[in-house]
Amino acid sequence: MSLAQFRARFQRWLFRVGGPEPAPIRLGQRRIFVLPSRFGLALGITLLAMLLASINYTLSLGFALTFLIGGVAWISIHHAFRNLVDLAITPGRSDAVFCGSPARFGILLHNAAHRSRLGLVLFPTQAPTLRTHPFDLSPESTATQEIAIPTATRGWLTLPRLTLETRHPLGLIRAWSLFQPDQRCLVYPAPEADAPPLPLGDDSRSGAGAQGRGRDDFAGLRHHQPADSPRHVAWKAVARGGPWRTKEFAGAGSRRAWLDWQQLPAGLGVEARLSRLARWIVDADASGIDYGLRLPGVELRPAHGAPHRHACLTALALFGAPDERSAS
Amino acid sequence: MPIHIARRLTEVASRIILGKERAVRLALACVLARGHLLIEDIPGVGKTTLAHVLARLLGLQFQRIQFTSDMLPADIVGVSVFDQREGAFRFHPGPVFAQLVLADEINRATPKAQSALLEAMEERQVSAEGTTWPLPEPFFVIATQNPSDQIGTFPLPESQLDRFLMRLSLGYPDRAAERALLAGEDRREMLARLPAELQPGELDALFAATRAVHVGPRLLDYVQNLLAASRDGANFALGLSPRAGLALLAAARAWALLHGRDHVQPEDVQAVLPAVAGHRLRAAEEMPLPPDRLVRRLIEAVALPG
Amino acid sequence: MNGLRPDQAGWLLAGAAITLAPHTAHLPPALSAICALLLVWRGLIAHRGWRLPHRGLLMALAAGVVALVLMTFHQFFGKEPGIALLAGLLSLKLLETGSVRDGRAVVLLCFFLQLGQFFYQQNMAIAALALLGVIVAIASLLALEGSTAPPQARAREAAKLALQGMPLMLVLFVLFPRIQGPLWGLPDDAYNSVGGLSDSMAPGDLARLSESGAIAFRVSFEGDPPPPAERYWRGPVLTRFDGHTWRPDRVQDGAHPAYRPQGMAYPYVLTLEAHNRHWLLALDFPGATPGLRFTDDYQLLSPDAVQSRRRIALVSYPHTPVGRDESSLNLRAALQLPSGANPRTVELGQRLRAAAKSPDEIPPLAIAHFRASRLSYTLEPAPLGRDDVDNFLFDTRQGFCEHFAAAFVVTLRAAGVPARVVTGYQGGEPNPVDGTFVVRQSDAHAWAEVWLAGRGWIRIDPTAASAPQRIEKGLAAALPDSTHLPLMLRTDLAWLRGLRNRLDALNNSWNQWVLGYNPARQRELLSGFGFGEPDWQTLTALMSAGCALVMGGLTVWALRRRTSADAIDRSWALLCRRLAAIGLPRADWEGPLDYAARLARQRPDLAEPLNRIATDYARLRYGPAADTTQQQRFHQSIKNFRPR
Repeated sequence: MSLAQFRARFQRWLFRVGGPEPAPIRLGQRRIFVLPSRFGLALGITLLAMLLASINYTLSLGFALTFLIGGVAWISIHHAFRNLVDLAITPGRSDAVFCGSPARFGILLHNAAHRSRLGLVLFPTQAPTLRTHPFDLSPESTATQEIAIPTATRGWLTLPRLTLETRHPLGLIRAWSLFQPDQRCLVYPAPEADAPPLPLGDDSRSGAGAQGRGRDDFAGLRHHQPADSPRHVAWKAVARGGPWRTKEFAGAGSRRAWLDWQQLPAGLGVEARLSRLARWIVDADASGIDYGLRLPGVELRPAHGAPHRHACLTALALFGAPDERSAS
Repeated sequence: MPIHIARRLTEVASRIILGKERAVRLALACVLARGHLLIEDIPGVGKTTLAHVLARLLGLQFQRIQFTSDMLPADIVGVSVFDQREGAFRFHPGPVFAQLVLADEINRATPKAQSALLEAMEERQVSAEGTTWPLPEPFFVIATQNPSDQIGTFPLPESQLDRFLMRLSLGYPDRAAERALLAGEDRREMLARLPAELQPGELDALFAATRAVHVGPRLLDYVQNLLAASRDGANFALGLSPRAGLALLAAARAWALLHGRDHVQPEDVQAVLPAVAGHRLRAAEEMPLPPDRLVRRLIEAVALPG
Repeated sequence: MNGLRPDQAGWLLAGAAITLAPHTAHLPPALSAICALLLVWRGLIAHRGWRLPHRGLLMALAAGVVALVLMTFHQFFGKEPGIALLAGLLSLKLLETGSVRDGRAVVLLCFFLQLGQFFYQQNMAIAALALLGVIVAIASLLALEGSTAPPQARAREAAKLALQGMPLMLVLFVLFPRIQGPLWGLPDDAYNSVGGLSDSMAPGDLARLSESGAIAFRVSFEGDPPPPAERYWRGPVLTRFDGHTWRPDRVQDGAHPAYRPQGMAYPYVLTLEAHNRHWLLALDFPGATPGLRFTDDYQLLSPDAVQSRRRIALVSYPHTPVGRDESSLNLRAALQLPSGANPRTVELGQRLRAAAKSPDEIPPLAIAHFRASRLSYTLEPAPLGRDDVDNFLFDTRQGFCEHFAAAFVVTLRAAGVPARVVTGYQGGEPNPVDGTFVVRQSDAHAWAEVWLAGRGWIRIDPTAASAPQRIEKGLAAALPDSTHLPLMLRTDLAWLRGLRNRLDALNNSWNQWVLGYNPARQRELLSGFGFGEPDWQTLTALMSAGCALVMGGLTVWALRRRTSADAIDRSWALLCRRLAAIGLPRADWEGPLDYAARLARQRPDLAEPLNRIATDYARLRYGPAADTTQQQRFHQSIKNFRPR
C-alpha cells in the first residue's frame, strides 16, 4: 500500500466520510476538526520561548503576558469551532456545461443560528486551489457558494468531497469539516471549433419527423408591415378598400436540420463526432431553426427551444454511457 | 360576512363534485385571487362540471369554448366583418367575451389559437382593427388540458403556463365518492337546478376581503425564503419568478379567507404551493422529479422558526 | 508589492510602536532613532501608497543595525544586545511586510518584545501598556484574517477576545507550578539593571543614588514603628580605606548573630526589591532567623543573591549592645589608615586625642569640631581634590552623608579610636494608606560606627551634626533647596503626597501579589486554601482542573444554541423542545397549525391545549399586531404545558 493510499484510507477512517450524503448535511460537533494552523504552531513556539524566559528571569508580568496570549489563542479554538458547528449544507444548482469550461456547483449553506459565521472558505478537499473567496453568513440566513471544477470529459461529473474551513478569528486555529453533497453536473461534449457548416436539409428530404406542420396552413391575418412578402398580402381586402393586411401561415419560413451520426465522415472518431454534433446543435439553436438528432439507438425529432437543446446535448453527453438516469 | 359566504360556496360545490373538496377549494381560491385556472386531467373526471359549478355559484356569465385543431384565433376573440351598409369593419365579439370562460381541451388547438386566448387572459382586453375591446369584469378563464402525452395535442409552452395562477389535477374519485356519483342524481340536472349563491355585489366584497387578508413580515420572510430556495436549490432547473411570488401570496390570501382566517399562515402558503408552483417549476435534469414531489422538496427545504 | 491593506498595515504599525516605545529608554539612542524613522517610513508607505523599499536597501539597513549593536555591546548574546537586535529586526520586518504571513511574523516579534520590556521594569503602567499592546496585536491578527470592520469595532472585538482570554490567564498565573529561576546559567547581564547600594563607597556614590526615587524596600511593622532616630537599615559595613574608596573587610558569617538581642523588639516584614546582592537591609539588630546568615560586623545576609523581590519576616532589637568583646584583629582593621593620605585630618585626630582625657571623649569632641566647621549638607558637593577627606573638611566644606561619615571615621582612626563606615538606608516614609514604610534609594545613607571599650560598637551619625533634619525628617527636609529632587520626593505639595501614598499602596499590593508571586507565595496562597504544602504534582493537577473548568465553560458556550431574541419565538421553541423530548418532534418546515393537527391525531389527549397554543402562536406570529395580554397568555400557557 502506497503512502498516498494509506493516507486516503486513514482520512476516510478519521473523517468518517463515505460517498455522497443525503441533504441536508448537518455539521454536528463530531464532524468538526480543529487543529492549530502553521501560524498557530509558530505562536505556540513563541509562547514557549516566552514562558522559558519568564521562568528564567523570574518575570511575573512575563508569565501574565504569556498566559494572556495563550488564553486568547485557546479562546480562538472555541471561536473557530463555534463558527462551523450546526451549519447545514444542501446541494444547490449545477447547470450543465460544455466540456472545457468549469462545472459550477452551487452549494447552499444554511445558518440557522442567531449569530454570524465569519471568514469561511469552501474548496474541494483534493483541490484546495479551487477555493472560494472568504465569505460570511449572516444570522438566520442561507447563502449560495459556487465551486467551479474544471471539466475534461463529457458525461456526469460528480461533485467531489468538499472542505469547509475557517481560521476565524485570529488565523491561529484551522477548523474544518468534510462533506460530500449528493450533487452532479452534466458535461456536454465540447463543441468543435472549426466544424463544417450546419447541414440544412430541405423539406423534401426531411423524412420521418416532418409530420404535424403543413407549410401552408392559413393561420390568420395581421397588420401589414413593409417588410412582408407581397405574396402574403390579403389583396382581396385591399381591393375592397380596407387596410393592408398580411396573411399568416403556420410554419411559414421554417427550416429544419437533421443532425445525423451516420452522415458524418466515416473516418471521424466517436468524440470528434459528438463534438461536431454539439457544435451543430449550438449553431442550429442559435439560428432558431428546428433540428433533430440521430445517434445510434437514439432519435430526437426536430424541434427547437431550450429543453430540446438540452435533450440533444444530454444525449451527446451520455452517449455510450450506461444509463444512470434510472439509477440516480 | 365574506368568510361565511366563502365557506358556504365550498360546501355547495362539494355537494356536486364529490370527493374533491380540496380541488374545489383550490379552484375557489383561484377565483377569489382573481387568477386563471388550468385543470389538467384525463377526460371524464369532472373538469367541465367544476367550471360549470363555479360559474353557477358565483353567478357569473358563462361561456364554453371547445378547442379544436382547426380553430383560428378569430374563433375565440371575434372577427371584424366588413359592413357593406356602413362601409366599415364591424367587430363581432367572440366567445371570450364572458365573465367565466371555460376553454375546454385547450391543448387540442394550434399554438396560434392558444395564444389568442392567452393574450386575452393576460391583457383582459381584446385588440382588433386597432381598437381595444375590454373584456367583461370580472374575467376568468378555466382552461382544461389533457395530459400532454396524448397524441395530436399542442401542450401549452412553459412561458404560457405562467399565466395560470393555478394548475390542478382532479384525478379519479375515491371509491365512496364514485359510488355516490354512480348511485346519485345526474350531475347535469343538479347543476341546472343550482341557484346562484351570490348576489351581484357580493363577489366584489369577496374580492375586497381577499385583498384585505393580513400578510405579516414573518410570512413575507417565509415566502421569500421559498422563492430563494426554488432559485438556488439543486432540484430546480427553473426557479419561481417574482410573478410567481405574487401569485403565491394572492392564492394564499384566498386560501386563508376560505379557512376563516384574517391573516395568512405558512400552512396556507404550503397548501396552495403545489397548485401555484407545480406548473412553474421545472425539475433539474440531474434529478428529475414529478411536480408534486418537486414542490414537496421545496416546502421541506425551507425551515420555519421553532 | 504592498499586498497589505492600509488598515492592516496601520494596526501592525500601531502594535509595533506601542511595543517599541518603552524600549527606547534602554536601547542605544541611535538605534531608537533608526527604529522611529523606519516606523514613520512604513507609515508613509501605508498612508501614501508608496512602494515597499527594495530588498537590497533593507539588507544594507539590517547590516547597519547589526553593526550598531555590535559596536554598542561588543556581542550579540545576552539580554540587551538581543533586545536591541529584535527591535531593529521588528522595524525592518515592518518595511518588508507585504503579505499576511509577514504581518503575522511581525505580531510574533511584537509579543516577544513586549516580554522584553519587563526586563527593565514591571510596574503597573508597563503592564497596562503591554495589555494595550496585546489588544492591538489581536486587532492586527483580526485585520490580517480578513475582517474589514471599522477600527473601533475591531478594537472592541479584540478587547473582547482579550477579556475572554483572562480567565485562563488567571488560572495559569495562579496555578502554573512556579519554579525559582534561573533554569540555566544566566547571562552575566541578567540583573545588571538593578540599582542600589554597592559594596564599596567613594565620594559621590550615595549622592548619585539619592537622586533616584526608586523603592529599595518596604517594611510593615507589626506594632509601632521605632522612632525615626532608630530607623537605620544596615547594609554593607566598610572598614578598609585606601584614601579614596571604602571597602568591606573580610568577614565571617554564621547561622546565629554574634550578639544576644536585648531590649525593645520590633517585629516586621521586609519586602526587599531585587538588588542582586546577598545583603538584606535589616533594622539594627535582627534576632536569629532560620535560613539567614549573620556576619561578625552585624550584617544580615541571604545565602543567595536577591534576584527577585523577597519578603522576609524579621524581629529587630535596636537597643542590643554589640561588640563589647570584639576581636583585636577586627579592632586593628578598624584603625587602619593609608599612610600619607589626608594629612590635615590625621593631624586633627591627633589633636583631638591629645585634648581628650579618655577615648570616650573623643567622638563628642570630633562632632563638636564638625559642627564648628560649619560643614554644609548638599546633594551636589563641589569636586574634591586628591585628599578627599582633607578637601571636604577644610576646603569645600560641602558634602553628602558619605563625606561626613568618611571624614568622621578617618578623624577617629587618627585619634586612635576604632571606627568604620556603615552604609545602608536611614528613615523611610510611612504610607498612611496601608501603613507600610517605604524606603527609597534616596534614603541611602552612610554613617559611622565607633568602638569604645566597655561599650562596644556605637552608632554615631556625623551627618546629624550638621543636618539633624536628615535623620528626623528625611532628605528633602535636610537639603537647603529641594528643587533638584525628583518631584515625588518634594514635601511641599500635600495633595501630591496623598496621591503618591495611594499609588505606593497600590504599587505595594501589585508588588506583593503580582510581581512577587513566586514559588513561596504560591505555596503560601494554596496552603491558605487547604492544600497543605502543595508540590508540583498537586499544582499541575490543580492547574489542569482549573483549565478544564474554564474550557468546559467555553465548550458549553460554544455549543449553546442561542435562542432568538424574540420572546414569542423562544416560547414556541421551548414548546417544540418539550414535545421533541417526548418523541413528537416538529419537522423543520412544519407550520404550527399543521404540527398541532398532526399531534392531535397522534395524541388526542394533547389535542386541546396544543390546538389552543398553536392557534395563539400562529396569530401572534403571523396575524395583525396583538396586544400584550394575548402574549402573556401565550407565554403562560406554554410555561404550564408539560406533556409527558
